[in-house]
Amino acid sequence: MTTFDPVTLGILWDRLISITNEIVLTVVRTSFSSIVRSYDLACVLFDAEGRSLAQGTFSVPVFIGTAPQTMRHMLAKFPPETLRPGDVIVTNDIYMGTGHLWDVNVMRPAFHDGRLIGYAMSITHLPDIGGRGFSAVNVDEYEEGLQIPIMKLVDQGRLNEELIAIVRQNVRVPEQTVGDLMANVTAVEVGCRELVAFMEEYRIDDLRPLSQAILSQSERMMRRRIADCPDGVYRNRIQVESVGDPVTLACAVSIAGDRLHVDFSGTSPSVPYSINVPLCYTRAMTCFSMKALLLPDIPNNEGSVNPIELSAPVGSILNCQPPAATAARFQIGHFVAPLIFGALAEALPDRVQADPGMMNLLNVMGRRRDGRDFTTLYFSSGGFGALLGYDGTATTPAPSNMAVVATEDWEATTNIRVVRRELRADSGGAGEFRGGLGQVVELVNDTGHPLTVFGMGARTDFPALGLQGGKPGARRLYRLNGEAVSAKGRHEMRPGDRLEMLESGAGGLGEPSRRPRQKLLQDIAEGFVTLGRAKADYGFDLAMEQSGKAAE
Amino acid sequence: MTYRMGVDIGGTFTDFALIDDTTGELTIHKQLTTPADPSEAVLDGVATLLKRRAVAPAQLGAVIHGSTLVTNAIIERKGAVTGMLVTKGFRDVLDIAMERRYDLYDLTIRFPTPIVARRRRRQIDERLDFSGAVLQPLDAGEVERAAAELVEQEGVRALAICFLHSFVNAGHEEQAREIVARRYPELYVSTSADVFPYAREYERWNTTAMNAFVQPVADRYLGNLEGGLQRLGVKGPLYIMTSSGGTVTTATAKRYPVRMLESGPAAGVLMSAHHGRTLGLSNILSYDMGGTTAKGAIVRGGQPHKTYEIEVARIHHFKEGSGLPAKVPVLDMIEIGSGGGSIAELDDRGVIRVGPQSAGADPGPACYGRGGKRPTLTDADLLLGYLDPDFFLGGKMKLDRAAAETALELGLAKALGVDVTRAAWGIHEVINEDVARAFRVHASEKGFDYRGCSMIAFGGSGPMHALRIARKLRIPRVVLPTGAGVMSAFGMLVSPLSFQIARSNRVGYAELPRERFAELFAGLTREAAAFLLRAGVPQPEIRVTRRLDMRYRGQGYEIEVELPDELDLSAAFERLPQLFGESYARIFSLSYLQEPLEIVNWKVEVQGPTPAMSQHFHLALEHQVGAPEKGRRQAYFPEAGGYVATPVYDRYALRPEVTIGGPALIEENESTCVVGVGDQVTVDAAGNLVTEIAQEQVREAAA
Repeated sequence: MTTFDPVTLGILWDRLISITNEIVLTVVRTSFSSIVRSYDLACVLFDAEGRSLAQGTFSVPVFIGTAPQTMRHMLAKFPPETLRPGDVIVTNDIYMGTGHLWDVNVMRPAFHDGRLIGYAMSITHLPDIGGRGFSAVNVDEYEEGLQIPIMKLVDQGRLNEELIAIVRQNVRVPEQTVGDLMANVTAVEVGCRELVAFMEEYRIDDLRPLSQAILSQSERMMRRRIADCPDGVYRNRIQVESVGDPVTLACAVSIAGDRLHVDFSGTSPSVPYSINVPLCYTRAMTCFSMKALLLPDIPNNEGSVNPIELSAPVGSILNCQPPAATAARFQIGHFVAPLIFGALAEALPDRVQADPGMMNLLNVMGRRRDGRDFTTLYFSSGGFGALLGYDGTATTPAPSNMAVVATEDWEATTNIRVVRRELRADSGGAGEFRGGLGQVVELVNDTGHPLTVFGMGARTDFPALGLQGGKPGARRLYRLNGEAVSAKGRHEMRPGDRLEMLESGAGGLGEPSRRPRQKLLQDIAEGFVTLGRAKADYGFDLAMEQSGKAAE
Repeated sequence: MTYRMGVDIGGTFTDFALIDDTTGELTIHKQLTTPADPSEAVLDGVATLLKRRAVAPAQLGAVIHGSTLVTNAIIERKGAVTGMLVTKGFRDVLDIAMERRYDLYDLTIRFPTPIVARRRRRQIDERLDFSGAVLQPLDAGEVERAAAELVEQEGVRALAICFLHSFVNAGHEEQAREIVARRYPELYVSTSADVFPYAREYERWNTTAMNAFVQPVADRYLGNLEGGLQRLGVKGPLYIMTSSGGTVTTATAKRYPVRMLESGPAAGVLMSAHHGRTLGLSNILSYDMGGTTAKGAIVRGGQPHKTYEIEVARIHHFKEGSGLPAKVPVLDMIEIGSGGGSIAELDDRGVIRVGPQSAGADPGPACYGRGGKRPTLTDADLLLGYLDPDFFLGGKMKLDRAAAETALELGLAKALGVDVTRAAWGIHEVINEDVARAFRVHASEKGFDYRGCSMIAFGGSGPMHALRIARKLRIPRVVLPTGAGVMSAFGMLVSPLSFQIARSNRVGYAELPRERFAELFAGLTREAAAFLLRAGVPQPEIRVTRRLDMRYRGQGYEIEVELPDELDLSAAFERLPQLFGESYARIFSLSYLQEPLEIVNWKVEVQGPTPAMSQHFHLALEHQVGAPEKGRRQAYFPEAGGYVATPVYDRYALRPEVTIGGPALIEENESTCVVGVGDQVTVDAAGNLVTEIAQEQVREAAA
């Protein structure tokens, strides 16, 4: 077997990552929906046996480690020897894919001199998949939309027109959905082309030794970092709001030598809403959490997450079973990160971040002034959690990652007017290191047509908690025409109706009394903290401050 | 009036290049930059160089100047106290920014502090909708009150006026400007529709805030410079280099100082393009590597690629996304955090990473002997024998080989379990691969096939790496131009007067009447040409380039389509779908899509004549040279089996038509060219080193 010295390995490895980044760019630049442009996607390269070589740098945590599993399922259905140049395989299967129907997985085999040498896969979140729409209130998977079992989207270069016709007929925005499907097809084509060019350039006939070296090197580094953590069993239990009653998430993180196991026993059962989490997603969020804490600089990679073992009770909300609805799985699934961070807060006090305000997602379906229909998403972020030595940054998504929707673009695309978008004073949890601020977004239906919105915002009942004496951040709140409404429900907005979304702040870290006076004064001057809260949370006394100044 | 001078201010040195346009003779001068008032070094250097060549100031036809002043003012936050008037409800656009983590796993990521403090941003009751229609008329009283508060209580000297959708309708911004100007005529005012009329408020407003922030500084600086040159007796005009590779008058530079960002590197790229044209090479990768960063650019068909985005002042490990975005016309450059001072270490994977952390000038690489302990690229290049410890910067500085060896041994080799030479070679190769990778990604984004093109390399560290990088990219030819140490100052001498206007205006192609298409372009062209007419360029000499950003309706990103010069607007309009299809296929692949086309941005560039620079310019010989071959030293060439006794040449002593086969080292004061096994260097008539790259050892380069 070929071996690679560390110098060569680093060079080849980086080159593969740059190919995956190129695929990502292609998807982003050819996509039709704003959600893909927010990097709700992943691109992965595999060797001939379907073992992953590299994953694009830019993607949301959802996709860590799901692609290799999806690949195995695809190859079980279409064994390598049956694949031909120009084939493209597709699926949006919940359990074989990424945990909900909106993510489409598109894979293409790469051929070189007539031999199958590897694969490229691209995964994106489609703007619509039919059914009741992207929301938290679907009851089972059949309500959620069209299911595409593993099948050929392109057969030796010939597009599967029947499948495209079915998709077109089933979705609200056929140009966007089909356009995005095609963006994936373009991306895997570019990926395969680049993979072959890479092999030619380095005169590599077989990628398997390279994938082996990358995987084992990554795994070794992760094990080393796990071994650096103090052994023990670290537990945490949190309440998370659901559509109905709150659910409990529980975990026990066991570290013994270079082994790490996360057990989610004690977690509540699944619910009849679309916020259930398949295990593939629970796993992705667990891997994200451990990687951020232990090995942040290593590229996205299967090897680095192999040492992370997990288990969750079958049928629990973190390991749901068919036909559970999963559309808004992130509503519960994102809490796996703060759950695990909380468990490890004492073991790793300088690395664990206080709870983030998390992001809010609003699915909007309506009609523009010119009569064209649209379905799109509005994102807005809460604050980022404080970390030892660092205030949390304002309006920063976590643990997922999305990009801002520019007001000027949004208004032109939807005709829904943004009345204001401003920082929410006092929303950051007090602390020696302050939690990041959330924001206030106010939308008014200026389209002249009725509008349906599905809110998918968390932290309305349970705030982002602080650490080491830091205080919680402000909770999220939705108001429709001034009345408080659910942040997780379906709302109809008549023309002229106003929706306000007050995004949650993040938790602070350390006792507020230890916050340096200079930083507090600056917070007050910039309006991040009001005088009233400065007094209540930090014991700041303006009169005393002024007399103190006079005395100086 | 037969002389012109290019002046480029860099971090350490200010470079001067004086050309005699009759004879083509060039003279170079360098002196230390004076950071407190950079115009001091400029004026002093101009006087010194004129005196040295016995040129009367009145003979100087023009001074063309590029400066890092604006970039530095933003990085160091040394601009004016700046205020902002914004649409009500949108005070926090600069804080909320992109709402995106540029690194998913790094919990310590930082974002830059907004350029205008939150308390100096005032909200104004006014509102346009996305079509530019007025929803809420401008409250004039509020504008007056806000301006009064900002000026009188906050001491604001510059003001940015930024309203939503102003790129569609600039009416409210203009009204507000007039109101403010009546009351405070001395206040510097920038409006977002004037600075850059593009959609997406964060980027446009941030650009406008930066423009306002640096305006008073730029105004004073350019004023000093003009005055100083006049006092020296220089009669010719002062032109200012911009980020786009064109020059503008000082009046324009004072109005849009943000367009001076990165003008020095842009001039370097421009010079690469010029060399390419002179040498008959139309497709080029321009590669510039100095002490802390490397910069690359694509030149296609003799023209550098242009774009409208740049990120400045990155605050977190040079990471993309950690800086302030600006929308200005720029030559499209990639920046890589790799240079001679870049520190090498093992990353989380246990493989070598070099940069972006840099040892800087102090303590500098370990071999500088100033207390640096961590291994850097320069240390590796010294151990590999590419640098002469006794001839660094022409011998002005001695390098400590033992210190470099210790740094590599302790910092890298031990942990990797390899010897120091292997580690040094690893560092050298990682940089080569990093640069090659950045070029590949950039080229693929632009649909540029680099195989078969030529590379032009310069900067202190560029020639040491260029040939091997070219080999990786299968580029057959590398040119190391004469006077590569002052490429940017040279570039200013070949830069034409130019101005770019770009405007967002989203329209469906099917819905756009042909006459409207022509009208829109005519309006933009008039607007842009006015800047050149005011600078004295005669109308017939103005060249116009038109570009469109287009996409399928519903896509969020556009691709650029250039309208061919030879087509009139009516013919170009007819051919748009075809032109778009060709560009799309070049960048991505053939499209399966039948969606309607949409035009998003309209761009016009006007250019005056390119200054005639003698085809055969040459450096004035000002000192004696000895024999071409100075001696031999041990240098590392893996293809030759390791360290070999390698001939060392004095570049100044090489006469035209000399050829040198690798392995060899060619030294000049600012840099050393490493010639690999099988590479062939020829000195051309202008003194450029033209190298044909050996192509067969691709595999060894990797393994």
